[in-house]
This record gives sequence, C-alpha cells and structure tokens, in this order.
Amino acid sequence: MAQVIGGFGVSHSPSMGYEYDKGIAGQFDPRWKIWFDGLQPVKRWLAEMRPDQIVIVYNDHLNHFTFDAYPTFALGVSDEFPQADEGFGLRPFPSLMGDTAFGWHVANHLVRHEFDLTICEDMKIDHGIYSWLPYVTAPPWPAPVLPLAVNMVRHPIPTSNRLRKLGEAIRGAIASYPGNARVAVIATGGMSHQISGSRFGMANEEWDRYFLAHLTDDLDKLVAIPQEEIMRIGGTEASELALWFAMRGALSAKARHVYDFYTFPQITGCGVIVFDEARA
Amino acid sequence: MTVPKPDHSLDPPASFIYTGPMSTRGRNINRFSLSLKIPDNRKSFLADPDVYMTRFNLSEDEKALVRARDWSGLLAAGGHLQAILKIAAALGQNLWHIGAHNAEIPVEEMIAACPRRVGGLPEGV
Repeated sequence: MAQVIGGFGVSHSPSMGYEYDKGIAGQFDPRWKIWFDGLQPVKRWLAEMRPDQIVIVYNDHLNHFTFDAYPTFALGVSDEFPQADEGFGLRPFPSLMGDTAFGWHVANHLVRHEFDLTICEDMKIDHGIYSWLPYVTAPPWPAPVLPLAVNMVRHPIPTSNRLRKLGEAIRGAIASYPGNARVAVIATGGMSHQISGSRFGMANEEWDRYFLAHLTDDLDKLVAIPQEEIMRIGGTEASELALWFAMRGALSAKARHVYDFYTFPQITGCGVIVFDEARA
Repeated sequence: MTVPKPDHSLDPPASFIYTGPMSTRGRNINRFSLSLKIPDNRKSFLADPDVYMTRFNLSEDEKALVRARDWSGLLAAGGHLQAILKIAAALGQNLWHIGAHNAEIPVEEMIAACPRRVGGLPEGV
C-alpha cells in the first residue's frame, strides 16, 4: 500500500508570488530573500523525499470558486490544474498535473469516511499553492498534485478539530491505496495576518512562533484554541492556520520534526515546518 | 502622524469577519467584482464603468462607492476583500490601497508601518 512519507505546513500570500518573480528576474527584496533562503532546506528535503504524489490542503481566495457556489471542502480530480488569473495576469508557470486514479481513490475513501466533499474536474489554482511552490521546487513539477480546497473566506469555516480529522481521513485514504506510492501531505495557510479593516497589516510573531513550537507534540492544545481567539490576537486571516492541522493529522503522532523557519516580510507571517515519518 | 498599533478588536472598523449575511448583502458587488478576473471584462468595465456596473445590478449607492474607490464603504456594504481586490486591480490599485483606506492613512505610511507588530497569545494557553 501507499504510505505517507512526510509533509510540511507553509504560509502563502499573493506578495510571496510576485516577490519571487521579481527576485528571480533581478534582485530580491531583502525581506523576501530571507524567506527564499529559509525555504532552501525545504526544497532540498522535497527533492530527497522523491514523493510520487503530493496532497495539498489549501484555500482558494474567490479566484476559482465564487459565492454562487462555494464548497466547504472541494477535491480536484483531474489530469491538469491550470493557474487562476487573480486579476493581475498569469505568472510564468505551467499548470499543475494531477493523477485521476489516485484522486478518485481518495475521493471515494473520504466520502465513505464521512467527508462529503465536492468533486471538481475543473479547478484553477491561485496563490494558495502557486505563491510558495516555486520556492520549494521547479517546473517540470516533480509529482502529481491532489488539491483539496477548504473554505476560509466566509464564516462559518470548518472547525480546527474537523480539519485535524480530515487529515486523519487523508492518511487512511493514502494507506489504502494499492501499490507503494510515496505520498507527501502539505497544508498551506497564512500565519498571523489581517488584510482588511483598520488592523490591516498586523503581525504577531509571538503567536506564530508559539504555533510552530507546539505543532509537533501539542496538537491537542492547539486544536482546542477557539478560532476567534486566534483571529483576535493574530488577525482575521490567521484562522487559515487551522488548515495546518489537516497536514499534522495526516502524519503519525510520532512524525519527526525536521525543520522550521519563520520570518515576517510585510503583511503575512511566513513560516514553514517540515516533518517526516520514520523510514520503514 | 504615527500609525496606531493594532488592538485586539474583532469589530468594525478594526476588523471585518466575513459572514453569510454580509455575503447576501454584498451579492451584486461580489458578482461584479469577481467578473473582473476575466481580462475582456476588465476592458469593458474600464471602457464604460457605469454601463458595466448596471449589468450587474449595482445600486446607485454601490456604484458611487466604486467610483470613489471607497474600499471601506464597499467592505461595509458586504463586498468581500478578495472580491473588491479585483476592482482595485482593474483600476491600477492593489491591496495596500485598500488597507490604507481602511486604516485612514496614506498608502506610503501604511507600507512603511508594516509589519504592524503586536504581541499576545490566545487566552488560556
């Protein structure tokens, strides 16, 4: 059967993407060069892990879905996931590739385990994935991606505990997939940030570092924190951190902390934490 | 002028927690805004903003908010930040303009003030 080999949680933001493109074209803004350098060990880790499949739990920002139909959980099952134009034009990166056999297996397992998701055969991907991806790998993309979009743009959003359970169900789906595929599970959401209201631009490094320090061994404690509390001290969009619980839930309790890094370039706390599973 | 340090308030105008009723109220604004993801629509909008907004049933008050680039007013009217960002993009503005308008300070001051550092952990941890 397939196995979870490890994974990571990572921040995303539109500026992370633009600043990458500007940096690669010439000179990095020093604040973003720190993030670029901080992700190099993640890039090496991902290359060494050689995943056959990558599950990514992320959130769309009204770039693919609209409020005409906004799913709480949506799984993309397709051979190809194009980049979404967010209104500023496309960035110079190819579509992500998908693996429909794996996608349908995961869809089947999740629904049979009471995660009744929306299945999307057409899903365009925004900065939720494209902003950090070029920092940790390069085209041609190293493995097919299975994107799972979670509503983080309109309340009610799923609870922290629900996302942890989603991760556990993803782990079950992987463990029941025939063959011996090596699967990485990634989750992405901004750390402390708020991008509307007069608190725009607030940054709470104390909280972000607390989160990173406790995700390895104190998941119960983090999951128990009310999401309103996280929004109060970390900004309204810091609620996206709940997505990281899906990644942690997909890994075993004894997954090993490999690396973490944190910086705050502009308006979003940028952190990453990498885990891997004991080699069989 | 010093930019004030953000507090821990989740209430407007400090924060907008986007809810279902706001989504209902902002339905036309959001449908109009998100249509601007398509380049041809951006062109049509810029060619004749009033005609384009009428197509999306915006009220006269809502149209006035767009004309005035009143980002705070659009949020209060139920526009989602990620949606009105598309209006800003079509008009050559960006997230900084929205944030500065929300905080009632000039854009340059907002850029200079960020990150606006606060501390604190959730209660009870």
